[in-house]
Amino acid sequence: MEALKNALDFSDFPRIDLTVAGLVLIFLLAFPVLGFSSFAMATMIQFLMFSLYGMGWNTIGGYGGQVDLGKAQYVGIGAYTTAVMLIRWDIPFWVSMPVGVCLAVGWSFIIGYPLFRLKGHYFAIATIATSLVLKDLFEVWNFVGAARGLEISPIKFHPPDFLHLIFKEDVYYFYILLGFFLLGIFYINWFRKSRLGFQLRCIKDNEDVARSLGINVHWAKIKTYAIATSFVSVVGSFHACYIKNIEPEDTMSLTISILIALMAMLGGAGSLWGPIIGAGILIPLKSYLKEWLGATVGLVGIDIIIYALIIMLVSAFEPRGVWGIIEKLRRRKRN
Amino acid sequence: MKKVLKCTLFVLGLVLILGLIVPSGALAERVIKIGVIYPLTGGAAAAGRELRAGAELAAEIANTAMTTIDMSMARNAGIKSLGGAKIKLIFKDHEGNPTLGADLAKKLILDDKVDGILGCYFSSVTKTVSAVAEQHGIPMINGTSTSPPLTQRGFKWFWRTTPHDKWFTKDLFELLKGLTEGKVKGVKAVAKKDLINIASACEKTEWGSNVSLMIQSWAKEYGYNVRKSMLYAKESPDLSSEVRSLKAARPGVMLFASYTSDAILMVKTLKAQKVKTNVIWGQDAGFEKPEFRNTLRDSIVGILTRTVFLPKVAELKKVAGQVNALYKLKTGNDLGGASARAFTGLQTWVHVLEKAASTKPTDIQRAANAIYIPGDELVVPWAGIKFSTSGDEIGQNVLGGGLIGQYQKGPDGKIGLEIVYPFDVASANMIYPFQQF
Repeated sequence: MEALKNALDFSDFPRIDLTVAGLVLIFLLAFPVLGFSSFAMATMIQFLMFSLYGMGWNTIGGYGGQVDLGKAQYVGIGAYTTAVMLIRWDIPFWVSMPVGVCLAVGWSFIIGYPLFRLKGHYFAIATIATSLVLKDLFEVWNFVGAARGLEISPIKFHPPDFLHLIFKEDVYYFYILLGFFLLGIFYINWFRKSRLGFQLRCIKDNEDVARSLGINVHWAKIKTYAIATSFVSVVGSFHACYIKNIEPEDTMSLTISILIALMAMLGGAGSLWGPIIGAGILIPLKSYLKEWLGATVGLVGIDIIIYALIIMLVSAFEPRGVWGIIEKLRRRKRN
Repeated sequence: MKKVLKCTLFVLGLVLILGLIVPSGALAERVIKIGVIYPLTGGAAAAGRELRAGAELAAEIANTAMTTIDMSMARNAGIKSLGGAKIKLIFKDHEGNPTLGADLAKKLILDDKVDGILGCYFSSVTKTVSAVAEQHGIPMINGTSTSPPLTQRGFKWFWRTTPHDKWFTKDLFELLKGLTEGKVKGVKAVAKKDLINIASACEKTEWGSNVSLMIQSWAKEYGYNVRKSMLYAKESPDLSSEVRSLKAARPGVMLFASYTSDAILMVKTLKAQKVKTNVIWGQDAGFEKPEFRNTLRDSIVGILTRTVFLPKVAELKKVAGQVNALYKLKTGNDLGGASARAFTGLQTWVHVLEKAASTKPTDIQRAANAIYIPGDELVVPWAGIKFSTSGDEIGQNVLGGGLIGQYQKGPDGKIGLEIVYPFDVASANMIYPFQQF
């Protein structure tokens, strides 16, 4: 009960933050009826997916300061569990998704235990390596379709199918994902005020001090890594039903891992709103720059240049991301 | 004066009523929108440019009466059965990303309201895009993706004009068999032991991994040993370890399935490591792009590639020569396997629309299932286009065929592709064994 109270308690945020969050929530709830195009809807779904990925990454990467660049492996575990169970045994999404989370968390314990003996860049490189190794294994594992991947055939289901999460219209996917998104925000709100959340921030500031205070640093990192993994795995399962085709090259690529970390870092790692802001900037920017400048104006590739430029500028101006800029401005105003 | 005023008011009234009754678009020229999804950026951007140029040229010919071209679609300006409606292509760039491809397909179908889709070159993207088209009941014609399972899914809104890798790979083994039997032009019978060991490296998406399977399957059937079968990540920055591994297998035949940037890097690495082998064969894609030839120049003399179109075809087939001349004028290059098939894909769309005489999806579906385009209408050397409507492969063109070309240096010093298979249309003696690096 206490945990639920904490999850729903946002009173430590300034009123302006809550007003903006409330307006964003109203906009999201009303989005499908505002008459936006289907491309905008697809972009919004990507935004929600990457916000959730980022929220997960933010627990270990933001609050814990452990830069994890291997989250794609858990996207893959979630996506493949759902796809395999759906295609081979016709098991509904709502059963396969928790199974995927269990498998992903299990795997995160197996690799997290040795990995968290490493620190800093070594840890980041090790996460990349484990992710790529798992991707390589999936590429030769025939049970999961090897490099050819798996396809959830659209002709075998009769949409709307809420059990298997197979829909023709994106609006269903949108609201289901929005539900996960809100749950994610409440969970992270609880997490940041939990004992583990405080322990992690202490570990991020100084591991030796944290250890001297009696915190089991290694175990705290492993537990948080598993929490981050659960978020990513849930969205991975959703991705399988949404795209209906998964391949290791697409689902478990290094690009996905880097994008997840990038969104959170650009928005502001270690803050509740950071990953959402990061995804809110980068996802529409990437989609629309490409659409307007690439496809319409004919400046093919210009979107990538502008995208990179914005990332470089924000990183150079304020390494703590957009949320860091906001906090800096607030401090300046107070002084 | 009163009479003139009355007449003027009557005419104005009539115009107003007509304006209200007749929708504004009805008097405008009718347009048929085809969404075209290709990789216009990323590692396969070169192929994307070629595909786009091929499709655009076909649309130009369909929209303008060109009496100099012996094609039925060039006789009329627009689709005759639809009152001269013009084809409008809406291009989208999928970057080789299946998820983005699916999003773009939704945009084309729901926002741009296209009448049909053409694409997507990458088999992995074709897979997700065709699934979206199938869900929405929008016809999709694919001209360039060769992964066999694409037409084995029982889809009712998907048709593929190009032959697929099962048959392309079989052609390769027929060529190897021909080499051992002395059937290849300019080459005496080769001992099978010189060719029996095979090493393959294919990029590991839908297309490459299926090619790898096909190689293993046909090798078994034709009695060859696959000593090394490797999948590598597309757009790799370095292929040294892959090539070292291939070299260690001491193969008589090396087979590749690579997109442009990988194909160039692969041959550069083979050269750097001085790999020795008798036959090097590429499964089209990167191996037959102008960039491949222009970058590697003399190093590629003797390399084989499967394709569906070579400039030599333009000399043998009148209509191919006519279209090739237009394409060369537009791009500066000859038609290649990708551009010729993109052209044929859009040409098939034109024929289907002409037959359907409607843009209703069900009418288009019926017309596509019944279509027959004779071979002499096509730039590619096929017997024609006719889609299977039953059996294991639904929507597959059953009249397609492939060619195998070899890079050779002409008397003018230019490097071009000569036909070496099928044996009866060979345009030059085959260079065997491969000149070592």
